[in-house]
Parts: sequence; C-alpha cells; structure tokens
Amino acid sequence: MDPNRSTLPFREFSHRISLVFMLTLAAALLLLGRAETYVFDRARQVVTDLAAPLLEVASRPVAATRRVIERTDEYAYVFDENERLRAENARLLAWKEEAQKLQAKLARYEALLNVQIDPAINYASGRVVSDSGGPFVDTVLVNVGAEKGAKSGQAVVDTDGIIGRLVSTGPKASRVLLLTDLNSRVPVVIEPAHYKAVLAGDNTKWPKLEYLASQSAISPGDRVVTSGDGGLIPPGLPVGLVIQTSSGELRVQTFSDRGRLDFVRVLQYEFPSKVKRQDPPEVLDGPAEGEGAETGEAAPAAPAAQAARE
Amino acid sequence: MAKLEPYSPTPAARAGRIVMTVMPFAMGLACVLLAFVPLGRVVGSPLTPAFPLMAIYYWAVVKPEMFPPVAVLAVGLMFDLISGGAIGLWALVYVVTYAVVISQRMLLVNAPFSAFWIGFLATAVFAGSLAWVIVSIIHGIFVPPGSVARHMAVTVAVFPIFAMLFGRIQTRVLQGG
Repeated sequence: MDPNRSTLPFREFSHRISLVFMLTLAAALLLLGRAETYVFDRARQVVTDLAAPLLEVASRPVAATRRVIERTDEYAYVFDENERLRAENARLLAWKEEAQKLQAKLARYEALLNVQIDPAINYASGRVVSDSGGPFVDTVLVNVGAEKGAKSGQAVVDTDGIIGRLVSTGPKASRVLLLTDLNSRVPVVIEPAHYKAVLAGDNTKWPKLEYLASQSAISPGDRVVTSGDGGLIPPGLPVGLVIQTSSGELRVQTFSDRGRLDFVRVLQYEFPSKVKRQDPPEVLDGPAEGEGAETGEAAPAAPAAQAARE
Repeated sequence: MAKLEPYSPTPAARAGRIVMTVMPFAMGLACVLLAFVPLGRVVGSPLTPAFPLMAIYYWAVVKPEMFPPVAVLAVGLMFDLISGGAIGLWALVYVVTYAVVISQRMLLVNAPFSAFWIGFLATAVFAGSLAWVIVSIIHGIFVPPGSVARHMAVTVAVFPIFAMLFGRIQTRVLQGG
C-alpha cells in the first residue's frame, strides 16, 4: 500500500483547518487594527523602515527611465517650448517689476503697523520612494525620517505646491498622507475673496471643498492655498485651482501631480505660539485711595462686598 | 548481498529543498514590495497592479501545497503594514480569495491559458468587490469604486506576463530541482 495515500486525507484536513484558522485570524486582525493600538503602529513603523531602503533602490531605475522619457519628449518639442518660454519670460519680467513695487510697499506698511513677521521655515529634502500600493489608500513613503527632524503632522511640498502631510514617522522614513486620501483634511483659503473651507480627500482625483459658507461666491479658476488654521501647516502654500466637474460640483485640481511625485520637502513649521505670558494678579487691586492703597495693601473684594450688604 | 546505506541528503540537497519550499512564499513577498515600487510613474500614472493577488492566484491553482494559508495571511499582512491602510484588510481579502480559488481549483488546474486568465478576471473582480465592501463598511460611507476598478483592470491586463514569469520559475527551479 502506498504510504502517501493514507497521509493525503490528513494533509487535506490540516490544510482546511489551517485555512479556517487564518480566516478567523485575519478577521480578528481587521477588528483589532481598528483600535489603532500601539503594537500595530510600532509594527508598521518597523516594517516601513525596513522596506524603505529596498524601495528606494528599486525606485531609482524607475525614476531614471522616467527622466529619459521626459527628456525625449522635451527634445521633440524643443523649438515650440523655446518660443513659449520666451513669451512667458517677457510676461514674468513685467510681473517681477510689479512684485518688487508691491514688496516695497508691503514692507513699509508692515513697518508702520509693527506686523509680526512669520519666522523662516526650515525644511528637510527627500525623495518619494514608494507608490500608494492600493486603491483605497493615497499615501507614499519618503526617505526623510525622525533623524532629519521629521515629525507627524508636518506639511510636505514639491515644486508645484503642497502634496500632503506626514502621518507617521520612523527613524529613516515617513509616510505622507496625500491630499486625495479619504482621511485627508486640510484647512484652506480660496482666493481672491478669502473664503475659508476644508479640503477633504475622497479617494478620487479631485478633493472636495467642505464647510464652505453658503453665501460664498467661488468660481472655477479661483486659486486655493493653505489657511494655516490649526497651526499645523504654514499658511499660503499653493494647493490648486477650483474646477467644476461634469455634475456641476466644485472640486479642486491640485497643482501637484500624483503620477510625477519625486523630490519633496518636509516643512518643519513651528506655529508662532510663544506669546509672552501674562498671569492675572491673584488679588485685584481697587482704585488707589488712602493709606492702604499707598502701601500696596488691598482689601479682598469679597469681604468688602459682604460688608456693604450688611 | 550488499547492504544499502540509509539515505541521508547532502547539505546542497537540503538547501535546494528549503529553496523550493520557500520560493513561492518569497515570490509572494517580492510581489508585495513590487506593488509599492512606483512603476506607473514611468508613464505618468499612479496605477500599480496588485502583484500579490497574481502570486496568490497562480500558486493556489498550480501548487497550493507550496503556498499554504499562513503564507497568504503573511503576504496580506505585509501589504497592509507597508500600505498604511486598515490592518487586516488585504490579509482577510487575500485569505478569503485564496479559499474561493482553492474550492474552484479543479476547474482551472489543467485548463488552457485563456480559461486560467478568465479565472483570474473573476478572482480580481471578487477580491476588488470584497475589499470595496469592507472599506465602505469601515469608513461608513460609499467609497467611490472607480479607483479599485481601475486597479483591478490593470492587474488583469498584466497578469499574462507574470503568469509566464511564474511558469518559467516553476519549470526551471521547482521542477528542475
């Protein structure tokens, strides 16, 4: 008799038991993971830190190939591009003149009004080393970690504008929650009328504008920048333009292109909250009258009021 | 009559056996890492196929004994940890999908490649729908299905390339060994 024949049902049985056990374990993990326990966060950071160097090595050929393709495209349109850039340069020179005049005027007004100037923002540069890796999550890994001063909550920008903010940080790598993610909420301002709103991602290409005042008159083409509310993200970072979808809904087309993320900067912004502390006096002084006031002794307010009632 | 010596495998044979046992699982993990390499950026697109699903489907049909349920759970959990999404989401989706594929294995095991590919299409639709339902329940909202539909469409489109690659590895390494 073939000995393998007797072991076959047992092997199949153990395979089925194992399958049921793994199904139960996976369902339990899904439920436990919702609690966002410390163990899962820690495991995630460890795995992210281990995977980041491998992903960085693997993403280099991809970035190099992309650059080659871009260069080839640029060569094909080099003459047209040159003409376009000349025209744009002429237009920008006029804008530069205007900007310099306004800058000087603004500096004078700020000096007159004694405006508190925003402190300079430090930043750490890095590269996007991973893709989002799934249809329900819009996050990427960057090779900037706590060792370079990255902290959860800090804004991440590329050459076009803000791309998202850090949501977890390991020693060598951090995870960026992109503006388009379902969990992303960023306070913004819609220029030029300065309407405030919250930019909310919903896993589509164009994030929504929430909490917009009903009487606000915004229109497609309006510029959206960060408002700085909450003190986490610096104000004035370019976000995108208001667009109108085919269903008539107003959404935001972000300046940064998710398909072309490469070099980014993590902004180490500290909200200027260090206001000189002014503790109220323990005992409120009454108006300076008589001897008691001269020596700095004041009768407590409560007994005085009580005496007046009597 | 000469007495036969009891068989004891050489260290090389032992190493070879370990490689053969671990190979499908290692390929599953490699597929997880590959899913995070921004390959789509070459063509300016953020879409990356679900490589782990391809590995799970292929080995579940061709050699399920070399890709046990614990390996499927490990691959899914690793994906969840790197992706930053809900822990256990893809672990559960992949284990359930694996169970479904195993139950239909007899239809696919000796079928022509077109049937094998159609089987993968059905598997991708099932896995994508299951994941979409779970995510919608977790967030308590109707998550737009466009993203997962595109993700699975790209996965099904590039599956033949990876099936061929897995087939080569199976022939050269596993059967050759």
